[in-house]
Amino acid sequence: SSSPSISAQSSSLKFDLKTYWTTLIADMNQKLHEAIPIRYPEQIYQSMRYSVLADGAKRASPVMCVATCELFGGNRLAAFPTACALEMVHAASLIHDDLPCMDDDPSRRGQPSNHTIYGDDMAILAGDALFPLGFQHIVSNTPSNLVPEPRLLRVITEIAQTVGSTGMAAGQFLDLEGGPEAVEFAQEKKFGEMSQCSAVCGGLLGGAEDDELDRLRRYGRAVGVLYRVVDDILEEKMKGGDDGDGEGKKKGFSYVKMYGVEKAMEVAEQLKTKAKQELDGFEKYGDGVVPLYSFVDYAVDRGFSVS
Amino acid sequence: EFDEESRKPTFNFKSYMLQRAESVNQALDAAVSLRDPITIHEAMRYSLLAGGKRVRPVLCLAACELVGGSESMAMPAACAVEMIHTMSLIHDDLPCMDNDDLRRGKPTNHKVFGEDVAVLAGDALLAFAFEHISLSTVGVSPARIVRAVGELAKSIGSEGLVAGQVVDIDSEGLSDVGLEQLEYIHLHKTAALLECSVVLGSILGGGSDSEIEKLRTFARYIGLLFQVVDDILDVTKSSQELGKTAGKDLVADKVTYPKLLGIEKSREFAEKLNKDAKEQLAGFDPEKAAPLIALANYIAYRQN
Repeated sequence: SSSPSISAQSSSLKFDLKTYWTTLIADMNQKLHEAIPIRYPEQIYQSMRYSVLADGAKRASPVMCVATCELFGGNRLAAFPTACALEMVHAASLIHDDLPCMDDDPSRRGQPSNHTIYGDDMAILAGDALFPLGFQHIVSNTPSNLVPEPRLLRVITEIAQTVGSTGMAAGQFLDLEGGPEAVEFAQEKKFGEMSQCSAVCGGLLGGAEDDELDRLRRYGRAVGVLYRVVDDILEEKMKGGDDGDGEGKKKGFSYVKMYGVEKAMEVAEQLKTKAKQELDGFEKYGDGVVPLYSFVDYAVDRGFSVS
Repeated sequence: EFDEESRKPTFNFKSYMLQRAESVNQALDAAVSLRDPITIHEAMRYSLLAGGKRVRPVLCLAACELVGGSESMAMPAACAVEMIHTMSLIHDDLPCMDNDDLRRGKPTNHKVFGEDVAVLAGDALLAFAFEHISLSTVGVSPARIVRAVGELAKSIGSEGLVAGQVVDIDSEGLSDVGLEQLEYIHLHKTAALLECSVVLGSILGGGSDSEIEKLRTFARYIGLLFQVVDDILDVTKSSQELGKTAGKDLVADKVTYPKLLGIEKSREFAEKLNKDAKEQLAGFDPEKAAPLIALANYIAYRQN
């Protein structure tokens, strides 16, 4: 089983992830722009748009969702509404996470955070509006000839579980509460959940079987956590190994702070191997698997900047 | 308190409401179990199971049965609308919003669990409402469930509930808020979810498009009615009678129907809304429509 995997990995070298990704970013930005028109009362739409259409958004969830949908021969038109929804609910979570009563973060991606501009009350409401808008967008815009309704209900369930009390809300809670056992779990929840959900939703929309969805679930989670671990390592290296009191930008737990660079690199290597292992067997679907391999490599080597 | 104004001697509204609220409470209790992380689920359950009259879920169940469905078809949706209602109350009570300490006679969610948990518990209830309706509705075609999900989403977001809250916040302290804007606030802030409850019930119960639209109009009238009566109660009742802070509309300098129309005219307006609402039910089987008629009367004549 290793030879098809090797050939897929070698075509991964030829595959131009940067073009694939940046093209999808442009598509997504356009679709999100249309999905949140400014109406009365304008300030809530402006507040929603401010976070969803923030400059430099990588659209990693949509890219993952579209790629896994296409792997199973799905039309990307089937995946776009859900891809938009993933960005909406993710933005909603981040807006609420940044609030003064939560992480109290005045900025996000170098821009003032939502409540800094629109006030705490509007930030609460913008989040409360973006969650349902995501679901509404899926229901209203997914072409019914491409996706049967039972699949759509599974997509909605998947997203609801991802942002809910056992998913990202749980991650945020554990992060706030702290405690030695909670932190690792919190990171998995906060950073593995979206990626996992995006992969599974794409698979659902593309028509994947249940065992394939299980693989995508593990693959997506590994890629999401891998990305974060490598982030922590890169941040540590930028600081020049001064791990004393030079507090990094990020609050909360970091693999590096917890285990040191060496161990974090080991964890990254394990996650990389695990993510690729989960893709074994998808070669039968042809070159569609190549983007999924390339996401793993990108998470590690960050060969280019997408924003 | 429930049997006041119930019309037909054959229909006992009080026992109907108590029995219905009991099934809803059991379904809610079962739906939101205590899981890890415990604190979030405790916070969700604290507000969700704090009593309340369950008007929205009962409307949902009654509408479902009116168009020929059974209770089980609409129960997950009935729970979902109550989760959304609870979530909006939790967020509304936060210090950065209405800053309320008391709700349904108990300390508000953030007073007990802290603001951070209150925000998360609200978000989790919102998400769970969608999970529950998508995953747990049985005996209904997937097409109808999808339609119900879309309806719920639209009702509670920036075209519905949230829009009402935004305009409400904007209107505080303004002296030139007119009837039109007041009606906008209430049609979105209160009526949207009541309307959604009825529409969800009628979709899931198998109603025809024309039945669904009639019931939508019915619900819109009683939604507005609900708020007019709320405004009247806010100035005529004490905090203890209401189980929440009375007179807070006055303190917050909010525009209300009594302020714009006076108490008497507000009461007349409530009468008219109740009458208009009931006219929408004229074409339905009177026996099956009895619960909705009684609910409209209850909303019109309730004392808290």
